[in-house]
Amino acid sequence: MSALVESPLLLVGWDYRQTPVELRERLAFPPDKVREALNAMRHEGLLAEGVIISTCNRSEIYGVRGVAMGDRDPFDAVTEFIARFHGIPQLEVDSSGYRYSGGEAVRHLLRVASGLESMALGEDQIIGQVREAFRLASGAGATRSVLHRLFQKALETGKRVRSETGLSTKPISIPGVAMELAQKIYEDITPRKFLILGAGETAGIFFDLLVARGAKNIEVANRTLARSEELCRRAGKALPWEDLATRLPHADIVVSATASTTPVITLETARQAMALRRGKPLFFLDLGIPRNVDPRISELDNAFLYAVDDLQEIAERNRQERQKEIGPALEILEEELQEFVSWFGALAVVPTVTALRKKFESIRETDFDRQLEKMAHIAEGDREKIRLMAQSMVRSLLRHPTEAIKEEPDPGRRLDRAEAVRHLFALDVEAKD
Amino acid sequence: MMEPLGWGIAALILYVAAEVFSIMHLRSDAKVHSTLATVLLLLGFLVHLAALQIAARVTHAVPYRDLAASMSFFAWMVAASYGVLLLRHREGSTGPFLIPIAILFLGASLVANPQHLAGADPKLSGPIFAFHVTMAILGYASLSLSFVLAQLYLIQNRQLRRRQLGLLFSRLPALDVLSSIHRTSVALGVAALTIASVLGLIWAKQNWGTYWDPKVLFTFLIIAIYMLTLFPRRIGWGGKRVAFVSIGGFMLLMFSYTIVNLFITQEHVFR
Repeated sequence: MSALVESPLLLVGWDYRQTPVELRERLAFPPDKVREALNAMRHEGLLAEGVIISTCNRSEIYGVRGVAMGDRDPFDAVTEFIARFHGIPQLEVDSSGYRYSGGEAVRHLLRVASGLESMALGEDQIIGQVREAFRLASGAGATRSVLHRLFQKALETGKRVRSETGLSTKPISIPGVAMELAQKIYEDITPRKFLILGAGETAGIFFDLLVARGAKNIEVANRTLARSEELCRRAGKALPWEDLATRLPHADIVVSATASTTPVITLETARQAMALRRGKPLFFLDLGIPRNVDPRISELDNAFLYAVDDLQEIAERNRQERQKEIGPALEILEEELQEFVSWFGALAVVPTVTALRKKFESIRETDFDRQLEKMAHIAEGDREKIRLMAQSMVRSLLRHPTEAIKEEPDPGRRLDRAEAVRHLFALDVEAKD
Repeated sequence: MMEPLGWGIAALILYVAAEVFSIMHLRSDAKVHSTLATVLLLLGFLVHLAALQIAARVTHAVPYRDLAASMSFFAWMVAASYGVLLLRHREGSTGPFLIPIAILFLGASLVANPQHLAGADPKLSGPIFAFHVTMAILGYASLSLSFVLAQLYLIQNRQLRRRQLGLLFSRLPALDVLSSIHRTSVALGVAALTIASVLGLIWAKQNWGTYWDPKVLFTFLIIAIYMLTLFPRRIGWGGKRVAFVSIGGFMLLMFSYTIVNLFITQEHVFR
C-alpha cells in the first residue's frame, strides 16, 4: 500500500451516511453537469483525470491530481471547485463528506461497485451507475490510463462479488420478496394475469414493477374508477370496483393495497373464485394495513396468501443472510485491490525508470557483449573500448526518456508516460519473470 | 473385451459423478456444474448401454431373466427417462433427487452380480415378449421418477404455504414447472405401461390362449389412476391432489410388482 501513500489518486465524496438529503440534492450532477464539471476541473489543471459518480445516495469525484495543484491541498482544491460549481457556501460543502487518497480511494470505489456502501446492502443498481459514470467520463475524454484501469477493476470486482457470493442473491425489498415468491408459484410471470386492488402509492409501485418485468395482463380495480384509469394510462386495464368478484377467478396473482379498513376479499369470495379456478393456484399478496384479504384464505387449497408482515419477515431474514456474505465479498475485494495496487505502484517513476534501465542493460549484456566476446580478431584493448562505447550509448539513449518521465510536472501525464514506457518496452512482462 | 461387470462399474462411477455435480449445481446454481452433470449422465448412460449390450449378446435376450440383470436394466431406463425430462424441460435442479434411483438400482444389480444365463424357455424370447418387458420396465422407471417429483412438489408447496422458506425453496423450481415435469414423466410412464399391457395381452393370447392374468387388472387400474393426474383441470384437481394421487398410484404399482407377482399370479416372477 505504501506506493499509494503519497498518491496522486484522490476521492472526494458525500453519501447518505453523513450528508443530509437536502445537501445531497444540491451536490448532485446530472449528466451534462458531469461533463461540464470534468472539463472545467481539467481545464483549471486541478485534475488530470476525473470520474464523477452521482446517484441519489452519493456524489463522488475520483481524480488524478492535476498540474496546477502545486502545493495546495488537493482535497481543498477540489471541494472549493465543487462549492463554486454548485453555488453552495464552502462551509456547507465542508461540513460533511469524506476524502480518501491512494489505496483507500481505490478500496472505497471497489466497495461502492460491490454494493457494500449501498443503503440496501448488495443492491444491483449501483454497478450500472458506476458503469454509466465511467462511460460519461470516458466520453468527455476525462479518463486516461489510471482511471480507465481503476474503473475496469471496480466493475470486474462488482461482478465477481455478485456472482461468487450471496451478497446480492436474495431480495431484501418488499416488492423483490413478493416477486420471488410469485415466481416460485409461476416461474414465468409475464403471461400471468394480475389483478391489482387499489390505486394508491403502493399499488402504483407494484404496477410499475410488473410493467417493467414484462407482465402483459394487468387489471386494476379501485373504488374510484378515475384513479385506476389514471394508473392504467400506459398499460393494463382499469376495472370498476363492482367487477372484483367476477374478475377474481381469472387472476393468477392478486396484489391488494387498498386503504379499506375491512377485508376487500372475504373468505366466501375467495372460496367461490377457487372453485371456478378448478385447481389452478392463486397467489394473494396482501399489502394493505390493516389487512385487505381474509387471513383464513390461506387455508384454502391452492390459495397462497402472503401479507406485509410475512414479506417483511422474509426480507429481514434475507438481509441477515446478506450480512453473512460481507466477509467473502471483502476477500474478493482485497484480492482485486492488491492487483490494482501492484499495477499502480509499478507505474511510479522510480520503478519504471529502474525497470527501463535494467531492460536496456540486459539487452546490451546479452546481445552485444556476448557477440563481442566471440570476435577473436579484435584485440582485447579495443574490445574494452567498444564495450565502454556501448555503455555510453545506452546511457545516452536512456537520458531523454528518463528525464521526460521524471521531470514532467503534471502527475497525470507522468503516469501516462510511465504507462506508455512500460507498454512499449514490455516492462511488466519482464517484471513477472 | 471388458466384462459386463466392468462396464457396469464404470457406468456406476459416471452416474455418481453426475450426481455429485448435480448437487454442486443445486448449491451454487453455476451453469458449468449442470452442464458437467448432464455430460456425465449421458456418458454413464452410453457406458451402461454397452454393459447391457454385452450381457444381451450372451443371453440373446433383453436382460430380464434374473432379478439382478433386470435391476440394471431398470436403472438404465431411469437414466433414459430422466434424460427425456432434461431434454424436454431443461431443468437440472431435480437431478440430485432423481439420479440416485439409477445409482441405487445399478449398484444393487452389481452387488448381486447377474449370471446372464443363456438358453431359457424359448417362449420367453420372442420379440413381442422382449418388447413387452422393455416397455414395462420403462413404465416402472418413469413412474418412479414421477413418485419422487410428486414429493418434491409437495415439499415446495408446503414450504410456500407454511411460509418456511428453507434452502430447498430457493433451489427447487416453481410449482408450475414441477407440475409440468411431473406430468411429462407420468405421460411417458403411462404410455409405456399401456404398450406393455397390450403386448402382454397379445403374447398371452398366443401362448396361453387366454387374455386373463390378474396382473392385467391391476395394471389397467394403475393406468386409469395415473390418467386422472394428466387432466387435472378437467376434474378440478389442484397440484397437491395430483401429487397425492400420483404417490398413491406408485404405491399400487409397487404392490402389483411385489405382492401380485408373488402370490396372485405365477407368471410374472423373475426366475
